Amino acid sequence: MPDIVVEVKDLFKTYGNVKAVNGINFNIIKGEIFGMLGPNGAGKSTTVEIIEGLRSADKGSVTVLGIDISKDTRAVKERIGVQSQSPALFPDLKVKEIINFFRSLYTKSAPTSEIVKIASLQESQDILFRNLSGGQQQRLSVAVAFVNDPEIVILDEPTTGLDPQARRAMWDVIENFRSRGKTVLLTTHYMDEAQRLCDRIAIMDYGQIIALDSPHRLIESNIKEGAIQFRMKKYPGDDAVANIPEVSKVIKEGDDVVVYTNNIPSVISGLLGLASQQSAELSELSVRQATLEDVFLKLTGKRIRD
Amino acid sequence: MKSFNAVFVARYKQFVRNRGALFFSFIFPIIFILLFGWAFQNMGTQTFKVGIADEGSPRTASYITQGLESVLIPNNQKEFQTQSGTLTDLLASLKSGNLDAVIDIPAGMDTLGPGQSNDIQVYYDSSLMANQQTLIPAIYQVTNAIDQKLGGYTPTIGLVEKSVQSHQLRYIDFLLPGILGMTLMFIGIQGGLPIIQQRQAHIIKRLGSTPLRRSMLVIGDVAFRLIVVLLSAALIILVGRLVFNVAMVGSWLKLFGMVLLGSLVFVNLSYLIAAFVKTQESAIPIINIVNLPMMILSGTFFNVGNMPAFIEPIVKILPLTYLNDALRQIMVAGTPLYSMTTDIIVLAGWAIFTLGITIRFFRWD
Repeated sequence: MPDIVVEVKDLFKTYGNVKAVNGINFNIIKGEIFGMLGPNGAGKSTTVEIIEGLRSADKGSVTVLGIDISKDTRAVKERIGVQSQSPALFPDLKVKEIINFFRSLYTKSAPTSEIVKIASLQESQDILFRNLSGGQQQRLSVAVAFVNDPEIVILDEPTTGLDPQARRAMWDVIENFRSRGKTVLLTTHYMDEAQRLCDRIAIMDYGQIIALDSPHRLIESNIKEGAIQFRMKKYPGDDAVANIPEVSKVIKEGDDVVVYTNNIPSVISGLLGLASQQSAELSELSVRQATLEDVFLKLTGKRIRD
Repeated sequence: MKSFNAVFVARYKQFVRNRGALFFSFIFPIIFILLFGWAFQNMGTQTFKVGIADEGSPRTASYITQGLESVLIPNNQKEFQTQSGTLTDLLASLKSGNLDAVIDIPAGMDTLGPGQSNDIQVYYDSSLMANQQTLIPAIYQVTNAIDQKLGGYTPTIGLVEKSVQSHQLRYIDFLLPGILGMTLMFIGIQGGLPIIQQRQAHIIKRLGSTPLRRSMLVIGDVAFRLIVVLLSAALIILVGRLVFNVAMVGSWLKLFGMVLLGSLVFVNLSYLIAAFVKTQESAIPIINIVNLPMMILSGTFFNVGNMPAFIEPIVKILPLTYLNDALRQIMVAGTPLYSMTTDIIVLAGWAIFTLGITIRFFRWD
């Protein structure tokens, strides 16, 4: 029986007439990296903020490390680390001062040098926050979440705004943390990040969890086919494409059309036939294995970046 | 305690790195004191220039000259300067405004016997208030004293001195408590900006996910602002004392209490503003809208007793009016506009009112 560190039961939250969170249930297990994906407004942030103790739920319960979050919020806050989407910290304080400020808010804290290392800001400890680059600010904002050596760290889009190298460094930090038996809850916009880091992923849309599994199984169970992606001038419409034999699904997103099929050669020839018949121009044709992005597209009908 | 220290130290570091806050808390009041103190140095402590035309009575002339020149005001500045010359020249100077009065001493004054009398003439502009209130009485008293001396009594210059030393506030005495009140207002109200900024940048939201209590955030913030207020008050009093010799005549304890009460009103007012103003960009003009009229209408720079009637109702609701009045009474024994009890009640009322509205409407997110 695995250790459950976060238990969300029947959670509801409404703002006005918007059902931000509409009855969700899930558990996070000790030692895993749990990802939440969803289009903007799907209810990820609200869910995460309820777990962090920043908001209260209308209905349902959240238990973190065995503590009911609505009953002893401060006890939970002592033991979790939180990075919020907005990276802003005190603009007139130095890197070191900000870390020490946060350290003194907790009874238990990690050494300053360790946090500086997580942020990769060893050379910039005495620089005012306002003078850091956007990427440096983001890194510090994530690193501060580790300041109390938490048992669970909750990261809200930790690598947004980072260059590829810094992103990979941040992934190392997160995997390192997990390898010490700690738990990570993260939201992200990057499918490759989710696919690479997460042990399990919950996909949210309209306040509900529409899929929850490992990245591998999400792809396998949702899309058995390969994907053909292309653009077509004078596009004849989804129905015309869907009429090509052996096409199982057509999704159009902007100018891109994605077709899923088990028989790629036959569908490509069908597409070429359709194009010449309509004297439409076919471009940017590519064939690939399905990815998490395709699962996301299939389940929500949207790309994650709006 | 650890988290109080953290909040306090963070607030301190941000404050000392913010030139605007430093300027308004420490430099601005001192500039006002020096500027207005020097510019209006002669207001209320006017130096009267008196011409003495001696037409043949050197002994009387020298008595009058000495008598006038020995009239002192509290900070040892001479209140009268004399200059001698012919009546025609001196009268010309009087007309051109270089002199305030001319005393004409006719011949034969030195040799008057008992029972005899002769008039000396005093020329002055009777349309000027200061002349009627101070100059002429002083001259009469000097000549009375000399009369007594000529009549064979012991001269008592001390008597003259005493009578002219009637309690008169110099402008700087009036100004200094007003500057203190104004500075308490600035520090209090401007001090709300960091809260608005941090809320706007979601820093406060982030703090919400730590064990830091919101109440500790407020306590640390208010404690820091009170320290700034006390330092600034000390600086203002010190500069007043060293540069302009403004004596603190009242009780330090009362002053301390009044500074705290006044600061509380304006700190509350800053939270009240933060309850309704969500962005730094809109907060700055609103803070100015609150600060500037109060700075002008609450008796910081001049007595609000002489205000036009239509402004009076505004003057009467502004908290700074009462704070300035109370500080003036405590620090330099200024003439009260209201009783001390009224001042305290109105300020306490403001503190409670602003706190109530803040509690009702203030949001952390």
